[in-house]
Amino acid sequence: MPRYGMVIDLKRCYGCYACVMACKVKNHTPPGVFWARVLKDEVGTYPNTLRQALPVLCMQCDEPSCLEVCPTGATVKQDDGIVVVEKDKCMGCKYCMMACPYGARYSVEKWESYFPEGLPLSPYEEFARDYWEEHSGTGVATKCDFCKDRLAEGQEPACVEACSAKARIFGDLDDPDSEVSFLIKRYRGEVLKPELGNKPKVYYLAPR
Amino acid sequence: MDPRVNGQLQKDWGWLVAIYLFLGGVGAGAYTIAAINQFLGKSTEMSTALGLSIGFPALLIGTLFLLADLGTPKNAILAGMRPGSSWIARGFWIISVFMVLAFLHSSLQLFTDLGKTGEVGAVLSALAVTGIVFAISTMAYTGILLGASKGIPFWRSGVVPVIFVISALVTGHFTIMLGMVLVGDPAALPGEFRIMAAEAVGLVVLEVLAILFFLQAAYRDPDTRESGMRILRNRLFVVGYFVLGLGAPLLLMLFILLAGSDAATGTILAAAGVGAVLGLAGGLILRQAVLICGALPTLNMAGFQFRRIARPKDPKAGVGLLPPA
Repeated sequence: MPRYGMVIDLKRCYGCYACVMACKVKNHTPPGVFWARVLKDEVGTYPNTLRQALPVLCMQCDEPSCLEVCPTGATVKQDDGIVVVEKDKCMGCKYCMMACPYGARYSVEKWESYFPEGLPLSPYEEFARDYWEEHSGTGVATKCDFCKDRLAEGQEPACVEACSAKARIFGDLDDPDSEVSFLIKRYRGEVLKPELGNKPKVYYLAPR
Repeated sequence: MDPRVNGQLQKDWGWLVAIYLFLGGVGAGAYTIAAINQFLGKSTEMSTALGLSIGFPALLIGTLFLLADLGTPKNAILAGMRPGSSWIARGFWIISVFMVLAFLHSSLQLFTDLGKTGEVGAVLSALAVTGIVFAISTMAYTGILLGASKGIPFWRSGVVPVIFVISALVTGHFTIMLGMVLVGDPAALPGEFRIMAAEAVGLVVLEVLAILFFLQAAYRDPDTRESGMRILRNRLFVVGYFVLGLGAPLLLMLFILLAGSDAATGTILAAAGVGAVLGLAGGLILRQAVLICGALPTLNMAGFQFRRIARPKDPKAGVGLLPPA
């Protein structure tokens, strides 16, 4: 059984949000829900400044704090290391959202329109709402699952496929010959907030 | 709904959770004070009855507020079936057992002669000791629930449960005091209020010290400084909690304590009533302020601090608007 993980090369990422949009299109997330996000920061003083993008998503931690606090057993770590929410068990207490240091979880009360209030859902939005209800659900915690349905079909996660800079590399962390294992070892892949002990499986290659 | 932003405040737990934590503290605090005073023989029959009987309804109403905050309340029963899994599940059992004990204890106290003999009987003693253990656990649970949240560094301090326990005792104390103002015998109250005011002064001073320690610790830690600064800029916290919820009750309790025996009964009752109401409001505001000022940790890498999102443009902005004719 593979242990899925991701490497994000920050030297390559230029913050185009293709991953954000690909995730939205694939998962039909409602307004305000961003399973894939891009944070940005700027250092230095004009004209000597550096701007950096940091794509973030669920880190699929080996020791997930969201799982530790889940009172109903709705959060589960699969054999392949992907952390998923079983929506039929979740009571929507949002404790996992308080426990995740990466802000990767969302809960929505209902699938609202992207358009101004008062307008009915467009046909696409109705489809998206139904897809969301079937796969994720309202009133429960939701999160990135590395597009596990795409993985089952032999495809990569939507954000990886959409990355025009090839900054995202996906693979099996337990396979020493995989590209992700090579990159982490060769370029000393780092994780965010290692001091918290969550053991994230999304690694970053430093931008400089 | 905005995207979640590291380094900025959480928006998912608000008033409903604050009221749940507040009522949990009030019920458990009032019960603890009444049960301990009953043991020590320091309280009157009325204050004991009031304190003991507040526990059950306060927790019951508090639990309804928690249920109202849940996205899918029908699955809440699953938490009860996994008692060791999480602090919410542990809290489910701690609160449930406490509610049963508080109900039994107050029923025996109110409707039988067991509590009226002057000496606390064996049955009441056993109930009181077990009840106090679960009441203290309930008070601590309301703080530990936040303290165990790895995603909000501001809450992860070990001081939060201590503050919540002290605040629970303070609000429990003020609830008993308010109950006595409303239903007590006015002639007998001033003397009793002097003893209660002395206890309240001690508890409020403890709370002030704990909150000051908490705030300075939050300011010193880079991960919690943002939250520490936010809470100090929050008017609700500074005016509602610190000035009106702690300072004013402290002064009013000192007034009751220092007022001579010739002070008018009405004045003492008014000071006690106003002080109790302000102290209770302060307890609720404290919990709400601590909740809404909890921020997600900043994500740092290679010298960058990713504390803001390059926010995708609001999809609703400008959509459907026509230029003026």
